[in-house]
Order: sequence, then C-alpha cells, then structure tokens
Amino acid sequence: MGISRTEAASALTDIEQTTGRSYERRGYRIAGPILITWGVIWMIGYLATGLYPQRGSLIWIPLDLIGLVLSALLARQGKAAHPAAADRGAGWRSLALALAVTAFLGVTFTLFKATSPEVYLVYPGLICGLIYSAVGIWRMTRYVWIGAGMFAASLVGFYFLQPWLAFWMAGVGGVGLILGGLWMRRA
Amino acid sequence: MAQLDELIHQPLRLKIMAALYAERDGEPLEFARLKAIAQATDGNLGSHLTTLEKAGYVEIAKDFVGKKPRTRVAVTPAGRRAFRRHVDYLREVVEGAGGE
Repeated sequence: MGISRTEAASALTDIEQTTGRSYERRGYRIAGPILITWGVIWMIGYLATGLYPQRGSLIWIPLDLIGLVLSALLARQGKAAHPAAADRGAGWRSLALALAVTAFLGVTFTLFKATSPEVYLVYPGLICGLIYSAVGIWRMTRYVWIGAGMFAASLVGFYFLQPWLAFWMAGVGGVGLILGGLWMRRA
Repeated sequence: MAQLDELIHQPLRLKIMAALYAERDGEPLEFARLKAIAQATDGNLGSHLTTLEKAGYVEIAKDFVGKKPRTRVAVTPAGRRAFRRHVDYLREVVEGAGGE
C-alpha cells in the first residue's frame, strides 16, 4: 500500500516541525546557564552601583568582561553537548551584538545627554529588554517573556522607585534573569 | 531500501520518532520533554511508546532521581534505520518516484 504525495509532504512537514522544536528546546538548555550568569553579573553590578554611587559604576567594566568570557565558555560547552542544536557562528554573532549594544549605549548617552543618574541606571534594562524581546519574536519565544518582563520592571523602577532604583534593578533584573535562565534550562 | 513503515507513519508515532532521532547519538529523552516536543498527552504518548517498544524501535528506561521517578526514552539502532528508511520513502513519494 502506498500513500499520496500530499500525505507524504504533510508527514515530512510534521517531521521538520518536530525536529525544529527539539532543536529549539536544546537551544534553551544552552542559553539557560548563560542567562543565569548574566543575572548574577547584573545583580552584583547594580548592587555595587547602589552602594557606592560615585565609583560603583566602574565595576561594570571587569564584570562585563567576565560575563563575556563565561558566556563564550558556556556556549562552547553547550555546543559540544548539543552539536545539532548549535547555530554555526552564533558565538561570533553574540560577541558582535554585545559590542554593538555597548557602542549604541555609549553613543546614545553622549548624544542625548541624560539629565539624571537614574536614566543611566534604567537605560541598559530597557535596551536588554528590547533585545531579548526581539530574539524571542524572531526565534525563541521564551525570550519574549523575559525581555518584556525586564522592560516593564525597568520602567516601574524608574517611575515609582527612583530612590532605590539601583537596588530595584539588582533585585528584579538580576533575579528575573536567573529565574529566566532556570526556566530555559528546564526546557 | 526506502519503504513505507506503517507503524511509524501514524502521526504521533512519527513525531515521537522524529524527536528521538534528533537526539545526538540516540541519547535518551525524558518523558516530559518528549511529551512537549511531540505535543502529546500523557496517556497518548504512553500507549504509542509501548507500540514502538514492542516493535524494537525504542527503549524505555525507568529509574529514580532522588525520590522522584523518571522515565527516559531512546531510539534503538533498529528504530533509527527504520525511521531513515521511512523518511527516504516519504521523500521519494514527494519527488514523484513512488506512492500512488
């Protein structure tokens, strides 16, 4: 007994979609520990900024470098464990994206000249929220929730909790990223 | 040789086999993950896994992680071969070399 061409095409589509879901879930498992790492970095950075407003922001330079190195190592480890799910060139693209975002933040701060220190505190949260949402809309839907949560939490902190903004960003942003990473790792 | 596999061709079993085949080196998948990937329900997945296990296409292992029971499913070498043959058959039909 044979099957029709339409039935065969439909079965192949089912296989392709199932394989896509399988790879997406493995992608989440690779991304989860990276997100947790950035959650910890985010928390330390904002806590330092909140505790030492004059010089605390300097800690972001070593923290970001540590974050980039750890992300590269975790991505390499994940790629070895799940080669089929790994996106070729993703490491270089992620690094290029991180540099582009850093340059964008620097340029917009220079051009728009923020009127208060709170703007400097909240702006990275908004940009990260936007990027995570964009990644989620494009490919991995769980990022949409993480990005939207980050964006909304940053705005809530800015409008309603300005005196404690750095601590709010440390707590809500850092814990949010860690929880998001755990959620992804369980995928 | 490419040939239709009636057992694999059932829609949910096809998705189960595709999900397991996508795992590196036939690594086992946990039941909950397989359920999510194949978009199945507990009962549905269980009954189709039993059918595939009887055919020798999958292996089901049950153990405990701490006090929590865990069920893991992996595709067997025979299952991988059968799935490949079935996919080759589907491609041939689509390309016009087989089927009705």
